[in-house]
Amino acid sequence: MTSEQRRQILEMLADGKITADEAERLLVALERAQPAPVAEARPAAAGRPKYIRVVVNAEDEASGGPTRINIRVPIQLLRAGVRLASLVPPQALEKANAELDKAGVPIDLTELKPQHLEDLIEHLGDVIVDVDEPGSKVKVFCE
Amino acid sequence: MIPQLVTVRHRRRSGRWMRLYVPVVPVALVLSPLLVVGVVAGLVACRVYRMRPMGVLRAVWQVLRALPGTRFEMEQGRTAVLVSVR
Repeated sequence: MTSEQRRQILEMLADGKITADEAERLLVALERAQPAPVAEARPAAAGRPKYIRVVVNAEDEASGGPTRINIRVPIQLLRAGVRLASLVPPQALEKANAELDKAGVPIDLTELKPQHLEDLIEHLGDVIVDVDEPGSKVKVFCE
Repeated sequence: MIPQLVTVRHRRRSGRWMRLYVPVVPVALVLSPLLVVGVVAGLVACRVYRMRPMGVLRAVWQVLRALPGTRFEMEQGRTAVLVSVR
Protein backbone atom coordinates (compact mmCIF):
# COMPACT_ATOMS: atom_id res chain seq x y z
CA MET A 1 0.00 0.00 0.00
CA THR A 2 1.36 3.39 -0.92
CA SER A 3 1.24 6.35 1.46
CA GLU A 4 -0.95 8.09 -1.13
CA GLN A 5 -3.64 5.41 -0.86
CA ARG A 6 -3.47 5.52 2.92
CA ARG A 7 -3.83 9.31 2.86
CA GLN A 8 -6.88 9.09 0.55
CA ILE A 9 -8.61 6.66 2.93
CA LEU A 10 -7.84 8.88 5.92
CA GLU A 11 -9.14 11.94 4.09
CA MET A 12 -12.36 10.11 3.19
CA LEU A 13 -12.70 9.18 6.84
CA ALA A 14 -12.04 12.77 7.96
CA ASP A 15 -14.59 14.10 5.45
CA GLY A 16 -17.15 11.67 6.82
CA LYS A 17 -17.54 9.92 3.48
CA ILE A 18 -16.76 6.55 5.10
CA THR A 19 -17.04 5.23 8.61
CA ALA A 20 -14.09 4.13 10.75
CA ASP A 21 -15.15 0.52 10.19
CA GLU A 22 -15.12 0.94 6.41
CA ALA A 23 -11.76 2.72 6.53
CA GLU A 24 -10.31 -0.17 8.50
CA ARG A 25 -11.69 -2.67 5.99
CA LEU A 26 -10.22 -0.67 3.10
CA LEU A 27 -6.81 -0.52 4.76
CA VAL A 28 -6.86 -4.29 5.37
CA ALA A 29 -7.94 -4.93 1.77
CA LEU A 30 -5.14 -2.77 0.41
CA GLU A 31 -2.59 -4.49 2.63
CA ARG A 32 -3.76 -7.86 1.35
CA ALA A 33 -3.51 -6.68 -2.22
CA GLN A 34 0.06 -5.51 -1.77
CA PRO A 35 2.00 -8.85 -1.90
CA ALA A 36 0.99 -9.41 -5.55
CA PRO A 37 3.63 -7.15 -7.16
CA VAL A 38 6.32 -8.60 -4.84
CA ALA A 39 5.36 -12.11 -5.93
CA GLU A 40 5.56 -10.96 -9.54
CA ALA A 41 8.97 -9.45 -9.03
CA ARG A 42 10.43 -12.57 -7.42
CA PRO A 43 10.43 -14.89 -10.45
CA ALA A 44 12.29 -12.26 -12.49
CA ALA A 45 15.07 -12.20 -9.89
CA ALA A 46 15.03 -15.98 -9.46
CA GLY A 47 14.75 -16.43 -13.21
CA ARG A 48 18.13 -14.88 -13.82
CA PRO A 49 20.19 -17.71 -15.33
CA LYS A 50 23.21 -18.91 -13.41
CA TYR A 51 24.68 -21.45 -15.79
CA ILE A 52 25.18 -21.92 -19.48
CA ARG A 53 24.66 -25.48 -20.52
CA VAL A 54 25.91 -27.29 -23.64
CA VAL A 55 24.41 -30.70 -24.36
CA VAL A 56 25.49 -32.79 -27.32
CA ASN A 57 24.06 -36.18 -28.18
CA ALA A 58 25.42 -37.92 -31.24
CA GLU A 59 24.90 -41.39 -32.56
CA ASP A 60 28.31 -42.26 -33.93
CA GLU A 61 28.70 -45.99 -34.27
CA ALA A 62 32.14 -45.64 -35.90
CA SER A 63 33.68 -44.48 -32.62
CA GLY A 64 32.26 -47.35 -30.62
CA GLY A 65 28.93 -46.02 -29.50
CA PRO A 66 26.95 -42.84 -28.96
CA THR A 67 28.70 -39.70 -27.80
CA ARG A 68 27.19 -37.62 -25.06
CA ILE A 69 28.61 -34.32 -23.86
CA ASN A 70 27.13 -32.30 -21.05
CA ILE A 71 28.90 -29.11 -20.00
CA ARG A 72 27.69 -26.67 -17.38
CA VAL A 73 29.60 -23.42 -16.94
CA PRO A 74 28.63 -20.75 -14.40
CA ILE A 75 27.87 -17.46 -16.17
CA GLN A 76 29.93 -15.80 -13.46
CA LEU A 77 32.92 -17.74 -14.78
CA LEU A 78 32.36 -16.36 -18.27
CA ARG A 79 32.22 -12.89 -16.81
CA ALA A 80 35.46 -13.45 -14.88
CA GLY A 81 37.07 -14.88 -18.03
CA VAL A 82 36.07 -11.80 -19.98
CA ARG A 83 37.65 -9.59 -17.32
CA LEU A 84 40.82 -11.69 -17.51
CA ALA A 85 40.83 -11.52 -21.30
CA SER A 86 40.48 -7.73 -21.16
CA LEU A 87 43.92 -7.62 -19.53
CA VAL A 88 45.62 -9.20 -22.54
CA PRO A 89 48.23 -6.67 -23.76
CA PRO A 90 47.60 -4.93 -27.10
CA GLN A 91 50.76 -6.45 -28.64
CA ALA A 92 49.34 -9.94 -28.05
CA LEU A 93 45.99 -8.89 -29.54
CA GLU A 94 47.74 -7.56 -32.64
CA LYS A 95 49.59 -10.87 -33.06
CA ALA A 96 46.33 -12.77 -32.61
CA ASN A 97 44.67 -10.48 -35.19
CA ALA A 98 47.44 -11.21 -37.68
CA GLU A 99 47.09 -14.97 -37.14
CA LEU A 100 43.30 -14.79 -37.45
CA ASP A 101 43.68 -12.79 -40.64
CA LYS A 102 46.06 -15.42 -42.03
CA ALA A 103 43.52 -18.11 -41.19
CA GLY A 104 40.85 -16.20 -43.11
CA VAL A 105 39.00 -14.86 -40.06
CA PRO A 106 39.23 -11.07 -40.32
CA ILE A 107 38.24 -10.18 -36.78
CA ASP A 108 39.79 -7.22 -35.02
CA LEU A 109 40.07 -8.28 -31.38
CA THR A 110 41.20 -4.82 -30.31
CA GLU A 111 37.70 -3.59 -31.18
CA LEU A 112 36.17 -5.95 -28.63
CA LYS A 113 35.80 -3.84 -25.52
CA PRO A 114 35.13 -5.40 -22.09
CA GLN A 115 31.87 -3.43 -21.93
CA HIS A 116 30.62 -5.09 -25.13
CA LEU A 117 31.46 -8.53 -23.80
CA GLU A 118 29.77 -7.71 -20.49
CA ASP A 119 26.63 -6.72 -22.40
CA LEU A 120 26.87 -9.93 -24.41
CA ILE A 121 27.03 -12.04 -21.27
CA GLU A 122 24.25 -10.02 -19.66
CA HIS A 123 21.89 -11.00 -22.48
CA LEU A 124 23.13 -14.55 -22.79
CA GLY A 125 20.13 -15.71 -20.79
CA ASP A 126 17.93 -15.25 -23.85
CA VAL A 127 20.13 -17.40 -26.08
CA ILE A 128 18.92 -20.85 -27.07
CA VAL A 129 20.68 -22.89 -29.73
CA ASP A 130 18.88 -26.06 -30.71
CA VAL A 131 20.30 -28.14 -33.53
CA ASP A 132 18.38 -31.30 -34.26
CA GLU A 133 19.78 -33.43 -37.04
CA PRO A 134 19.23 -37.10 -37.68
CA GLY A 135 21.71 -38.84 -35.43
CA SER A 136 22.86 -35.77 -33.50
CA LYS A 137 21.40 -33.12 -31.25
CA VAL A 138 23.07 -30.00 -29.90
CA LYS A 139 21.51 -27.72 -27.34
CA VAL A 140 22.96 -24.57 -25.83
CA PHE A 141 20.86 -22.77 -23.27
CA CYS A 142 20.97 -20.97 -19.96
CA GLU A 143 19.41 -22.25 -16.76
CA MET B 1 33.68 -19.07 -2.33
CA ILE B 2 36.69 -20.75 -3.92
CA PRO B 3 36.42 -24.37 -5.09
CA GLN B 4 36.48 -26.88 -2.26
CA LEU B 5 36.41 -30.19 -4.04
CA VAL B 6 37.21 -31.26 -7.58
CA THR B 7 35.82 -34.64 -8.56
CA VAL B 8 37.24 -36.50 -11.53
CA ARG B 9 35.57 -39.72 -12.66
CA HIS B 10 36.81 -41.83 -15.49
CA ARG B 11 35.16 -44.95 -16.86
CA ARG B 12 37.56 -47.19 -18.72
CA ARG B 13 36.73 -49.39 -21.67
CA SER B 14 36.51 -52.29 -19.27
CA GLY B 15 33.58 -50.50 -17.61
CA ARG B 16 35.45 -49.87 -14.35
CA TRP B 17 35.11 -46.43 -12.80
CA MET B 18 38.11 -44.56 -11.46
CA ARG B 19 37.17 -41.82 -9.02
CA LEU B 20 39.47 -39.07 -7.86
CA TYR B 21 38.43 -36.55 -5.22
CA VAL B 22 40.77 -33.57 -4.95
CA PRO B 23 40.27 -31.34 -1.88
CA VAL B 24 41.46 -28.03 -3.26
CA VAL B 25 42.49 -26.19 -0.08
CA PRO B 26 44.71 -28.98 1.39
CA VAL B 27 46.30 -29.62 -2.01
CA ALA B 28 46.92 -25.88 -2.48
CA LEU B 29 48.54 -25.77 0.98
CA VAL B 30 50.82 -28.69 0.12
CA LEU B 31 51.74 -27.09 -3.19
CA SER B 32 52.04 -23.58 -1.71
CA PRO B 33 55.83 -23.32 -2.36
CA LEU B 34 55.17 -24.00 -6.04
CA LEU B 35 52.26 -21.55 -6.00
CA VAL B 36 54.53 -18.83 -4.62
CA VAL B 37 57.04 -19.51 -7.42
CA GLY B 38 54.14 -19.38 -9.91
CA VAL B 39 52.90 -16.06 -8.54
CA VAL B 40 56.41 -14.55 -8.72
CA ALA B 41 56.77 -15.80 -12.31
CA GLY B 42 53.37 -14.29 -13.10
CA LEU B 43 54.39 -10.93 -11.62
CA VAL B 44 57.58 -10.95 -13.71
CA ALA B 45 55.52 -11.78 -16.82
CA CYS B 46 53.14 -8.90 -15.99
CA ARG B 47 56.12 -6.54 -15.79
CA VAL B 48 57.55 -7.82 -19.07
CA TYR B 49 54.23 -7.49 -20.91
CA ARG B 50 53.24 -4.25 -19.14
CA MET B 51 50.13 -5.59 -17.50
CA ARG B 52 48.76 -4.41 -14.19
CA PRO B 53 49.72 -7.13 -11.64
CA MET B 54 46.89 -6.22 -9.29
CA GLY B 55 44.37 -6.32 -12.10
CA VAL B 56 45.62 -9.74 -13.18
CA LEU B 57 45.57 -11.07 -9.60
CA ARG B 58 42.03 -9.77 -9.13
CA ALA B 59 40.88 -11.33 -12.40
CA VAL B 60 42.47 -14.70 -11.56
CA TRP B 61 40.83 -14.56 -8.13
CA GLN B 62 37.44 -13.87 -9.75
CA VAL B 63 37.92 -16.84 -12.08
CA LEU B 64 38.75 -19.05 -9.08
CA ARG B 65 35.70 -17.80 -7.17
CA ALA B 66 33.43 -18.45 -10.14
CA LEU B 67 34.62 -22.02 -10.71
CA PRO B 68 32.27 -23.86 -8.28
CA GLY B 69 29.32 -25.30 -10.14
CA THR B 70 31.32 -26.10 -13.25
CA ARG B 71 30.63 -29.54 -14.62
CA PHE B 72 32.01 -31.36 -17.64
CA GLU B 73 30.72 -34.76 -18.72
CA MET B 74 31.76 -36.64 -21.80
CA GLU B 75 30.71 -40.12 -22.69
CA GLN B 76 31.69 -42.04 -25.76
CA GLY B 77 30.76 -45.65 -26.04
CA ARG B 78 31.98 -47.30 -22.86
CA THR B 79 34.45 -44.57 -22.02
CA ALA B 80 33.37 -41.62 -19.91
CA VAL B 81 34.99 -38.65 -18.17
CA LEU B 82 33.32 -36.44 -15.62
CA VAL B 83 34.90 -33.40 -14.00
CA SER B 84 32.94 -31.50 -11.41
CA VAL B 85 34.02 -28.51 -9.33
CA ARG B 86 32.21 -27.85 -6.08
